[in-house]
Amino acid sequence: MTHALIGFAERAARPLRNVVVLLLVLPSLAVAQTSIVTTPHVRAELLAHAPQGVGAGKPVWLGLSLRHAPHWHTYWKNPGDSGLPTTLVWKLPEGISTGEIQWPTPKQLKLGPLMNYGYEDTLLLTVPVTVAAGFSAPTVAVKLRAEWLVCKDVCIPESGEFTLAVPTAAATAAHADLFSAADARVPKLLAQATAKSRVDGQALLVEVDGLQAELTGKTLAFFPETGGVIEPAAPVVQSWQGSRWSARVPLSAQRSESPSAMAAVLVDGAAAGIQVRFDIAGPWPTGAPVAGAAPAIAPASATTAPAVPASSDTTASPSSSSASSSSLWLTLALALAGGVLLNLMPCVFPVLSLKLLSLAQPDKRRADRIGAGFAYTAGVVASFVALAGLLMALRAGGEQLGWGFQLQSPTFVAALALLFTLIGLNLAGLFELRLVLPGNLAAARARHPLVDHALTGALAVAVASPCTGPFMGVALGSALTLPVPQALAVFGVLGFGMALPYLLIAALPGMARRLPRPGAWMLRFKAAMAFPMFATVIWLLWVLGQQIGNDGATALLALLLATAFVGWAVGEPAGGTVGAADSAGRSRKLGMVLAAAVWMATAAWAWPALREPASGNAATATATSAPTTDVRWLPWSPDAVAVARAQGRPVFVDFTAAWCVSCQFNKRGALADPSVLADFSAQNVLLLRADWTRRDAAITAALASLGRSGVPVYALYPPRAGSPVLLPEFLRAETVRQAIAAMQTGA
Amino acid sequence: MNRLVSTLVFSAVISSAALCAAQATVGQTAPAFSATDTTGKSVSLADFKGKYVVLEWTNPGCPFVQKHYDSGNMPATQKDAVAKGAVWLALNTTAKDAGDYMAPAALQTWMQSKNGVPTATLMDADGKVGRAYGARTTPHMYIVDPQGKLVYAGAIDSKPTANPADIKTATNHVTAALGEAMGGKPVTRATTQAYGCSIKYSNAG
Repeated sequence: MTHALIGFAERAARPLRNVVVLLLVLPSLAVAQTSIVTTPHVRAELLAHAPQGVGAGKPVWLGLSLRHAPHWHTYWKNPGDSGLPTTLVWKLPEGISTGEIQWPTPKQLKLGPLMNYGYEDTLLLTVPVTVAAGFSAPTVAVKLRAEWLVCKDVCIPESGEFTLAVPTAAATAAHADLFSAADARVPKLLAQATAKSRVDGQALLVEVDGLQAELTGKTLAFFPETGGVIEPAAPVVQSWQGSRWSARVPLSAQRSESPSAMAAVLVDGAAAGIQVRFDIAGPWPTGAPVAGAAPAIAPASATTAPAVPASSDTTASPSSSSASSSSLWLTLALALAGGVLLNLMPCVFPVLSLKLLSLAQPDKRRADRIGAGFAYTAGVVASFVALAGLLMALRAGGEQLGWGFQLQSPTFVAALALLFTLIGLNLAGLFELRLVLPGNLAAARARHPLVDHALTGALAVAVASPCTGPFMGVALGSALTLPVPQALAVFGVLGFGMALPYLLIAALPGMARRLPRPGAWMLRFKAAMAFPMFATVIWLLWVLGQQIGNDGATALLALLLATAFVGWAVGEPAGGTVGAADSAGRSRKLGMVLAAAVWMATAAWAWPALREPASGNAATATATSAPTTDVRWLPWSPDAVAVARAQGRPVFVDFTAAWCVSCQFNKRGALADPSVLADFSAQNVLLLRADWTRRDAAITAALASLGRSGVPVYALYPPRAGSPVLLPEFLRAETVRQAIAAMQTGA
Repeated sequence: MNRLVSTLVFSAVISSAALCAAQATVGQTAPAFSATDTTGKSVSLADFKGKYVVLEWTNPGCPFVQKHYDSGNMPATQKDAVAKGAVWLALNTTAKDAGDYMAPAALQTWMQSKNGVPTATLMDADGKVGRAYGARTTPHMYIVDPQGKLVYAGAIDSKPTANPADIKTATNHVTAALGEAMGGKPVTRATTQAYGCSIKYSNAG
């Protein structure tokens, strides 16, 4: 007390705030000699429940009731990011002993980017009491010292000493309703439920079978009973396969514990959660984890559990991330399907179709065709695996990258535009590359047709890799968090899927014969294929314009023109004779020198505009130049999400990028649909756009916490603490409207 | 052509430069930062390359911080670390609109009144440094080694209570980790669970 008084005198001169804080602390220093302790934040009372009196074998319970002041809370056994669990120390007569605290199902309490688990309003912490056989006394003198940390914006450690005399012979049942209500809130262990888990990169994969049928399809909140393992604020990606619930729970970047078994409580919004216990198959990651897999603090937008909406339209989509080893097969199947679909991409189709037609040459022997098919397949698969290996190596090195990362570099976009221009001009017949290549190289290609086929495969991958097609996003997202061999397998299968149509046509007898017969039309067809190539160039220019502005796009256009000029000067027009006269050869040489000079001058002029600007001003550049003329959409930030939800507004986030074709399709389609926009505004949904056109570590982290590594991702966050719902990558207006309606009914 | 362009494409992939994102994980490079100290001077983590740097998240309004300052435990830990040649940076991430935000001058006065001897006391009201390190509580402690690698993250000691009497029997994780690291030994408990008050992050950060 003296210390407190000195403290008071010392602080009296301080701002009023400190005095108030001190006054708040003072009552907790007082020692209570009763069963009730009251502080400004909590009314605490020691209660007993012995409906048949106190004796061996009879039900006897003790409990501490805590009634919190509005908005104040105390903590669960695992308090989450901060806080402390309430502790009860009992002093009981010989022959009386207590069991563990029966913690009621907690709530998620968000504070900025942090997440706590605890209780508001009223709470009864109960303990079962065991009475020894020979116990006899008229009353049981119960003494309790309880300590609790009660917090709102500030935290106050409080404690109380309680005493209570419980009669032995008479019944004590005045608070029977409180005890039965408390019991109803305690998580239940289901006899038929089985759970298992394993560590997978920076996440814990948990699978639970045998949950009640009425839970199926519901989004469950995950409360680990062990602290220091998972990231409490990071969302849990979860899915249902029949009655099996699978979840991917992100590990904490600062994980302090490596348990071999854990218990957790799953809550669907009902009063009592379900307790599950599971062994954890290791090994736990040691040393430096893969960057980006688990953000140190998940974006504030994160709560638990993005879920697949239950409508039939969306459950068919592959939004449920692969969460278990058994679903590796599903991931592989999706990768195969995605690979096949890649052949239809506008940038890939021309290359592939011409390649196919070459199979129809009448002089081709079947063995040659089969050889070509396998060489091409090998080239595609090897390139995919190489690209994936590079991506994983960079990520392991601490880079915040996701799929499509190449396109975040303006230099790479410019190089692709150059490449597509060259291919387009070639297809259009401006020049033949046979004549451009040094003679010995061309000869080598003719001598090694298999090498040539393999390289065509590599080219196809190079032009296809940016297109995150349907099915691919999920497969790639989960692949990047799988162990390396499995991840490489996914990419390999993706490549195999892409090569499959060509391989089948090449290898199956009779298929090649069904191809149209070669003829003059092929030249027309080839030239026609130049147009999708040039269309791709327009798109790349637009992307570059987003990244580095009008000057950069103009610089690239100039470079493309110079490149076309070089192509014209150096190459021979298609159909031109090879053995031209000497004089023509001389003027051609002059032309080449001139073209080279023009190209180099243009490149020197264009280069400064095409370099990657410093990342610092990137965000502002994007923010100002991006065509977000649509005022409905605001730029995304984790805090914008958190603030809006705290105010009770739902939030829809469009994770997008200029170079992502399906993103643009959805943006102009479903997301611009008047009925969708009307639904959004009717529910006062805050629309945020996270633009990943340029590298952005915060967005990469947010994607990772949603279990994805690329765009598009569409997340609908219900107001306050609910769980984000992930929508399919190919959005239909109806799907979005159903998700909004589902959120409305669920709220 | 194929060879030409595939070479072109793959070299472009490889040469595309990348941005290194800040993420505090023990064993990895500690996120770089600059912040203003209570006297208005700019202080960067990079200024102390070659030295051990202890980061202490603090907030005078927090009872757990008071536990370790009023008992003299935190000042003693600071003195010990500084005497061993380490740099000690105390950071206050409390948002300006939080009830217990302290202006730089008041924070400086408080630190002196508690006989705290940090090398500098830094203001992080926008929460940038706190978020980069994943700081959750006050106190929350980190140690960066002379190469700039994070070697410790977690609690000040092993007894997560608000009771000053527990300090005597608790293991001081910071002193232990600093001793081991300076002695060339691996840190036994490199990550622990920090305990204390939630950091009141700014919504604007």
